[in-house]
Amino acid sequence: MGKRIPLEKPAPDFSLTDANGQEVRLSDFRHKANVLLVFNRGFV
Amino acid sequence: MAQLRQDFSKFQAQETEIIVVGPEDAGAFKEYWQAHKLPFTGLPDPTHSILKLYGQEVNLFKLGRMPAVVIVDKQGIARFAHYGHAMSDIPENEEVLLTLQELNEEALQRRTA
Repeated sequence: MGKRIPLEKPAPDFSLTDANGQEVRLSDFRHKANVLLVFNRGFV
Repeated sequence: MAQLRQDFSKFQAQETEIIVVGPEDAGAFKEYWQAHKLPFTGLPDPTHSILKLYGQEVNLFKLGRMPAVVIVDKQGIARFAHYGHAMSDIPENEEVLLTLQELNEEALQRRTA
């Protein structure tokens, strides 16, 4: 079982390249948008 | 994923960026995104860096990753997390949208206070 993230605390930042080759960094959305992170269960 | 696409404009109205993270590689993501014309961000995470960081559960008995959903508000704070215990254990969009609406109202109140 993985370690769950605590609520009401800063979400862990990350930076990865998306499917179109653009860098996506969580902190880039700060003060701009809410972020809905969806952890996919695999493509079906 | 089809439900997310269907309600995409509702998420936009709540000033929310959707990022779908999965263990597949960039090629698989690109193919799937193009085939399904998905309007939101797909983030391949083949090294499982974010998946581990956020504690997505792997159920060895059910042979797969359990779905999980996390809402991060505009301050970068994690405000909602749903870790599924089964493949179909995903919160309804309506529930997620309602939570986002509450967060936006709260942020507005904070600004005008």
